[in-house]
Amino acid sequence: MRAHTARRFTTEQLAQGVQRIRHRRKHKPHRSAIRLNIAPMIDMTFLLLVFFLVTTRFARSEGMLSSKMPQDRGQVGVPLPISPIVVRIKQVGEGVDDFAITLDNVDAFPATFTQLAQVLSEIQSRPGFDKETPVVIIPDEDVWWDHVVNAWNAALRAECRNIAFGAE
Amino acid sequence: MRTLRHDRHGGSSLDFNATPLIDVIFTLTIFVMLVSTFSSMENMPVDLPSPEGSQAKEHDVPDRVVINCLPVSQLSKRTGGARYSIGPNAPEALDVLGDRLAAMKEQNAAMQVVIRADKHLAYSDVRALMNVLAERQIAVLNVAARTRDGE
Repeated sequence: MRAHTARRFTTEQLAQGVQRIRHRRKHKPHRSAIRLNIAPMIDMTFLLLVFFLVTTRFARSEGMLSSKMPQDRGQVGVPLPISPIVVRIKQVGEGVDDFAITLDNVDAFPATFTQLAQVLSEIQSRPGFDKETPVVIIPDEDVWWDHVVNAWNAALRAECRNIAFGAE
Repeated sequence: MRTLRHDRHGGSSLDFNATPLIDVIFTLTIFVMLVSTFSSMENMPVDLPSPEGSQAKEHDVPDRVVINCLPVSQLSKRTGGARYSIGPNAPEALDVLGDRLAAMKEQNAAMQVVIRADKHLAYSDVRALMNVLAERQIAVLNVAARTRDGE
């Protein structure tokens, strides 16, 4: 075992030692912390989100109805049997509800398209008629397109399988 | 997740982790951006007919060409005439549109046409378009209408 010998320092040496320690502390390599301020980023993100939420327009549900082409100027595109059901739509005024529905050779004047569907169903149950009986829709030139589609839809509700557009 | 910290002086401070919040916000933003793009591609806003008890069915028509028919004048929709356009393109005259459809049908015989016409138009406006299609031998025709859910 070695004998411990205390080392003695002079006052000057002690002062120098303290200075070196302070110097090391002063010039200790400073670790810089990278700080990211995310508040502006969150602000921009919320702005974008609100913008797209306000400007986005979700499309309403729409479907399709299928049909054949209209006959024009007497040129028969679809050969018709002897007794098709002819539905005529006339515009009797300027308003959306100013229309009249008539059926050729049928004593019925449906006021609404729901009634038209009921009339068509009733006709199909008569002798000589069935779901395959052609239904020809002949609207006037100035009838609203909405009424034409409604008439077509009424024929589909009555389960008519052969629907066509006609012309005067 | 908030965590509680104790600082030097013995008090406590709340620590808020914003990372999941930012992730969710970005996900929502990207979703809304993509959805808004898809919904406006070929379906221009058109006031379609809403039939009572609509029989219109949603089905995917392959090789479809959508023709939008809109009134020229918003004040007199029924009498002001119509403008016709293929998808989101600019409106064209009927004869020009018919020629384009004929050229498209030559390239793809299985092409189907979908007419999206404003419900306020007169039948004559839509019929003129249907006549053009009939002249070009385009027999199969689909007309767009609101479904029951879309009323």
